[in-house]
Amino acid sequence: MAEQKWPEKYPVEGKRGRKYGTVAAMRVAPMVKAAIGGAVEAKAQGKAIAYCFIESNYDEIIRAMDIVPMWTENYAGICGAKRDTQRFLDKADSLGFSRSLCTYATCGLGFDAWREELGSMPPEAPWGGQARPDVMLSSGQIICDPRNKWYQAVQQFMPDVPVYNCAALWPLYEDDIDRREVEPYYVKYLAEDLRGLVRFLEEHLHGKMDWDRLWEVIKLADETTDLHAECRELRKAVPTPMDTGDAMNTMVPQAFMMGTQEAHDFYRDLRDELKYKVERGLGVIPEEKYRLIWPGGLPSWFALMDFNYFWSKGAVFPVESTYNELVYPARELDLPRTDDPLEYMAWRWMRRQTYWWDKARKRPGSEPDVEKLITWIEEYKIDGVVIHEAYSCRSWHVGLLWQVNQLAKIYKPIPVLILKEDRKEVEYRELPSLVLESDMIDISSYSEAETRAKIDAFIETLESIKSRKVEV
Amino acid sequence: MDYFAGVDIGSTMTKVVIMGEEEVVISLVRVTTPEQRKLANKVMEEALEKASLSFDEITYVIATGYGRINVAFADKQITEISCHARGVASLIPAVKTIIDIGGQDSKGIKLSGGKVVGFVMNDKCAAGTGRFLEITARALGVKLEEIGELSLTARNPAEISNTCTVFAEQEVINKLAGGVPLNDILAGLHQAIASRIASLVSRLGIEREVMVTGGGAKNVGLVKALESKLDLPVLIPPDPLLTGAIGAALLGRDLVKKAKNEGLPVTKRQRSLEEVKFFA
Repeated sequence: MAEQKWPEKYPVEGKRGRKYGTVAAMRVAPMVKAAIGGAVEAKAQGKAIAYCFIESNYDEIIRAMDIVPMWTENYAGICGAKRDTQRFLDKADSLGFSRSLCTYATCGLGFDAWREELGSMPPEAPWGGQARPDVMLSSGQIICDPRNKWYQAVQQFMPDVPVYNCAALWPLYEDDIDRREVEPYYVKYLAEDLRGLVRFLEEHLHGKMDWDRLWEVIKLADETTDLHAECRELRKAVPTPMDTGDAMNTMVPQAFMMGTQEAHDFYRDLRDELKYKVERGLGVIPEEKYRLIWPGGLPSWFALMDFNYFWSKGAVFPVESTYNELVYPARELDLPRTDDPLEYMAWRWMRRQTYWWDKARKRPGSEPDVEKLITWIEEYKIDGVVIHEAYSCRSWHVGLLWQVNQLAKIYKPIPVLILKEDRKEVEYRELPSLVLESDMIDISSYSEAETRAKIDAFIETLESIKSRKVEV
Repeated sequence: MDYFAGVDIGSTMTKVVIMGEEEVVISLVRVTTPEQRKLANKVMEEALEKASLSFDEITYVIATGYGRINVAFADKQITEISCHARGVASLIPAVKTIIDIGGQDSKGIKLSGGKVVGFVMNDKCAAGTGRFLEITARALGVKLEEIGELSLTARNPAEISNTCTVFAEQEVINKLAGGVPLNDILAGLHQAIASRIASLVSRLGIEREVMVTGGGAKNVGLVKALESKLDLPVLIPPDPLLTGAIGAALLGRDLVKKAKNEGLPVTKRQRSLEEVKFFA
């Protein structure tokens, strides 16, 4: 593979194969480490800690009230990335929790049970451990089925820690329903639910919401999302300046630090870096042969190096759906004017969740998630689809297979005559897919040799399809 | 005269094919053992000797199969998916679905115009592979090569509810102890494995013609059970173990032909017929 002339401004990382990764992504691990350690320190200083789930529409509220979030799924992911989950999974297993449950949840349950037994962190807990919460903010967000039950189950070990169940719901898509007809009902419910959350936090943590501060945090969060959306747009370039391997790191400020200046500045710097690279034609790999999409689902956090394996074969992922679900600028959402920050948050949540509805309704048989993928497949010039069936992530697992099947109906292997300026070409507009099987943190479900054999076969398939482009 | 070799190192069998411009000169099938994988060169030497050829006369060598990385003397490694597809397409171009039933995994390959457009692999579980039948045949005290024919004599196939190979082994022993006839148990086993394979391959959308390859294709009971599950006839190649190795040799021939047509040099590795060194 040809070398690229790389600018000193953005030095090549050069370690662990992440040669042309973004400099911004290199900042993420220290940021997460500081946040985890910071939560433990904050607890010692008597600050309020809340167990939280990402994408639950309460980020700005906890930031405005100076509550320190402890993202329990994130912590399980960290344990996974550090290949230190087995002892926590075993602990949950010993307590009778099924191995078929979400392994984020069982890892967290095992960790909490152990910490409560000891009265201190489990020995050598990754990055200092998961701080004991004062409250737990559950979520009914429908993409993850175990969330509500997770914190309920944790209360077995921490009966003194109250739980608030946030609805964070949205309507399920039906092509004969106009979202405008149902949105107001959901918004009213969501806003009331958020009001209940504020009351719960004020009561249990003895603080007061500063509503002006909440508006400031919302504004900062919206600006942050705008910057993140700009980053995603820049990745359309050929060669792409950043791929999914990096995005699985750079999503951290969006998912876990929303409403903070640190998150805002992170995406500003990432945007600047990507702009710089696009202007100079600097790509993740210099010679892109195949552009792939990761349509959703969680990766194996312990095997992110598999993305580098794709790079070694000339394949990159300019776009992914995972963690991009809410990255839509507020200005594109046509939000009604309101003086109530909670109502604003409810409208914004609803409009982001229904972002693809109108477009999907125009294509018979489509569905918002599929419509999003079709749009991105075209805009990002995608050659193939790679999904990861994480066995313990049930809800995503089921939906992903359906999405891939829907895409297969659209991108059939049929010859299409393309008229170019000076010639005609027959293209087989088809979109092969690869299904990888493992788990997000349970390393016992993973085989590197088998995964890479599948990747090899998939690359050969892509090559074979490209070779069928015939000039006539 | 150019010669091309395909070396397919599967989990249970190692296959070598040497072909000339058009036809197979020699083919060889040997049992894969850890030692055999280490000494893939020995199988190649045997094939060369039988074909009265020297290694230098082989223009291009392609290794495939899960042990392909162990073939240090190959010019290129290509996955068994592509090699099976090429091999089958050369035998019967009308084939659109390949079901390969190997010792360690089973896989489905979808073809369009002879090219791979999709594949699925079962590599997580022994159920649905030759290993499943091997283990249960041993538990029942029947020779592996006899179980297919025996299963066809069943009148009332037993229901095997366990898809886990370890538990299925226990289940068949219990059934035998409970007086269930051997042929009924075997028929049940074949139906269970056929069901697993059919489910796997159905993900691709099965299209005729369907060809079954690999060691599983030599088991008539399994082939019949699969036809029944899929509700369509399947084709079996003359030697179902060799399609991958034939495909590998053909892909080597394709590469060399393409290079010559385009006036390009054939990129070959510095190779010698030696065992792989990284085991030392």
